[in-house]
Amino acid sequence: MQQGKGVERRAVLKAAGASLAVTGLGATATACGGGSGSGDGTVTIRYAWWGAEDRAQRINKTIDLFEKKYPKIKVKTDFQPYTDFWKKFNTQASGGNPPDVFQNAVGFLRKYDAKNVLLDLHEQVKAGHLRMEGFRAGLEKFGEIDGKLLGVPVGSNSMALVIDKPVYARAGINPEMGWTWDDFDEAMARVRDRTGRAGDSGMYGVMYLYDLYLRQNGKAFFTEDGLGFTEGDLTRWWTKAEKGVRSGLFADPKKVAQIKPKSALSAELAGSEFTWDNFTVRYTSEGRSEYGLAPIPTTDGKRTGQYLGSLMLSASKRTQHPVEVAKFIDFMVHDPEVATIMGYDRGVPATTAQYEAYRPTDPVNKAIAAYEESLVKAGVLEPITPHPNGADICEAAFLRIGEELGLGKRSVGEAVEQFFNESKTALSS
Amino acid sequence: MGTAVTHAPATEARAKDPEPRHGPGTPPRPADLKRRGRRENLAGYLFMSPWIAGFLLLTAGPMAASLYFAFTDYNLFDAPRWIGLDNFSEMLGDPRWRHSVRVTLWYVAVGTPVKLLVALGVALLLAQKRRGQAFYRAAFYAPSLIGASVSVAIVWKAIFSDDAIVDRTQKVFGIDAGGWTGDPDLIIYSLVALTVWQFGAPMVIFLAGLKQVPRELYEAADVDGAGKLRQFWKITLPMISPVLFFNVLLETIHSFQIFSSAYIVGGGAGGNACGPADGSMVYTCYLYVQGFENSRMGLASAMAWMLLVAVALVTAVLFWSQKRWVHYEEGGR
Repeated sequence: MQQGKGVERRAVLKAAGASLAVTGLGATATACGGGSGSGDGTVTIRYAWWGAEDRAQRINKTIDLFEKKYPKIKVKTDFQPYTDFWKKFNTQASGGNPPDVFQNAVGFLRKYDAKNVLLDLHEQVKAGHLRMEGFRAGLEKFGEIDGKLLGVPVGSNSMALVIDKPVYARAGINPEMGWTWDDFDEAMARVRDRTGRAGDSGMYGVMYLYDLYLRQNGKAFFTEDGLGFTEGDLTRWWTKAEKGVRSGLFADPKKVAQIKPKSALSAELAGSEFTWDNFTVRYTSEGRSEYGLAPIPTTDGKRTGQYLGSLMLSASKRTQHPVEVAKFIDFMVHDPEVATIMGYDRGVPATTAQYEAYRPTDPVNKAIAAYEESLVKAGVLEPITPHPNGADICEAAFLRIGEELGLGKRSVGEAVEQFFNESKTALSS
Repeated sequence: MGTAVTHAPATEARAKDPEPRHGPGTPPRPADLKRRGRRENLAGYLFMSPWIAGFLLLTAGPMAASLYFAFTDYNLFDAPRWIGLDNFSEMLGDPRWRHSVRVTLWYVAVGTPVKLLVALGVALLLAQKRRGQAFYRAAFYAPSLIGASVSVAIVWKAIFSDDAIVDRTQKVFGIDAGGWTGDPDLIIYSLVALTVWQFGAPMVIFLAGLKQVPRELYEAADVDGAGKLRQFWKITLPMISPVLFFNVLLETIHSFQIFSSAYIVGGGAGGNACGPADGSMVYTCYLYVQGFENSRMGLASAMAWMLLVAVALVTAVLFWSQKRWVHYEEGGR
């Protein structure tokens, strides 16, 4: 150590300082591709989706089934929660290494088509590897955007008010088709007063719900290339929200933030939550209560503004195995046994073969079937408009800024301004 | 880590007297020396080549690329489009960016001094001769080894969330603030607590510095009747000021780079990356959001370079300031 003293202290410090400063950089992603074929003709495809643990278990069972039927195709899986899924997908796709086949939704079709990521499946349909017949309710058209087949629906779902049934029973509320927003406000107050629980988990940040409200009033969240509402519209929506949070009608956003990724409903912070009707499957496995479905409140006592949403399977353009991927998608949407495993986890099955193969026997899935039927009967379903490129960023900003409003970090005016600024950037890029 | 003070004359003396490095025997002729020197240089570079390759491919290359991207609109998919300084002007006009700068500066300005104070305080206690000091040293040092890991951040999140240990302890004292991780104003304190908890690393450096302070100085001060406090201000602090400077520099730069703990405590899987209402949105978190959530790699690169420049400036100011408060003992020892 005596020798070591000869080293200039300042020099060491400077070197240390400089090298540390340099490490301040670096946000460059690298991803590397890998081959996926092997000598004996066995092919491996990668399949990714978003969802929670219970969905993963079901999907793994369907994959076992698939691999048994197609022993030459192996499927490697990967899943994350919704937001993380898209971050990972985006990074992989930009690095030229996206999964071969993945779960998709309408908000992402245009976006990733513009980025040249999605495979047009029409060719595989023509070659007979993928059947596009036998879909319910015109669903085969849902993945067709700008003349390309970018996704194949696995199920359909629609927005609903998912309720904690015992809580609603205790509050003495029984919402019926056609109930209005005034009825809804009254119900929220009753849940709060009679059960001591907030009525709703935070509806003001749910883009898909605000979309319905706008549709009831002849507008929509998105037009073909921008936002379909004004700052005045949003100011009204969020002013009401702010009051609701303050008065305890909506769950304390502080608490909601902390129980993520669990939902506020299954964590018993709120009596109900606006989300997709198939979420009762997840909440039933996540929470301790019984969960049911109530209709979307209306403005005029009739129109809910609803449309069928759909989860899809898409293939990536860069896949080395388009044929195998097409066969995989075909199997997943048509095979009756897959339907009995999946239930309504991703919505009501898209094809009639699967729809008929699975007759729900448990109350949760039965309720989903009944709810979807009631929508058809009431004739409230409308066609959906494909979302513009950037819609997903607007959706995330809507949720985040709504949360900031709920937490009291922004006034309504500031929140509206911020949302419009961020959306403008997102939709123009 | 020798911490005692050294001084330039020592080096000069050595420079005048080049030490023969090639073992005993007759000194070789100059020509031989030259050839051998070149061969040794080559060998040296060869031995360094893995590092050089790594540096060029993994550090210098990406850095150069990111410098270029900083002036482009680049979404990872389409070719980057040159837009000059637009990224920088957009940044400055973006309230969320300004918010992230505020959060980061606050974190650096509070977390670093508190951490160093704790480190110095504990080092002073551990520098005394007591039984079992080696054990305490190891125990206090341990958190800094694991503190930066994701698993600790997850534990931290659990400790500071609703109805967890911190919340319940507060309630015993009648403070009902709820969990810190759900509160946009409190969450940053849990991050400060996390960094302070890792005071072990600077503490060890302080300890080494304290050991090097000559005992005679304290003895002389005792004779002159200086109290403990005065001894600290007049002897200990000046004598360890180079070490203090090193720690301040290191910890400040570290603090500017905080990411994984903020990302995990602030959200992690399934949440937003930056805490409730961006409460823990430090600079690098926003950089991540722009780069990976919004696919704006050009903007994210520009942000990275802004951070580099800011950290370099802060480092420069610190180096400039050391003239006023850092004492390098003349003459070495």
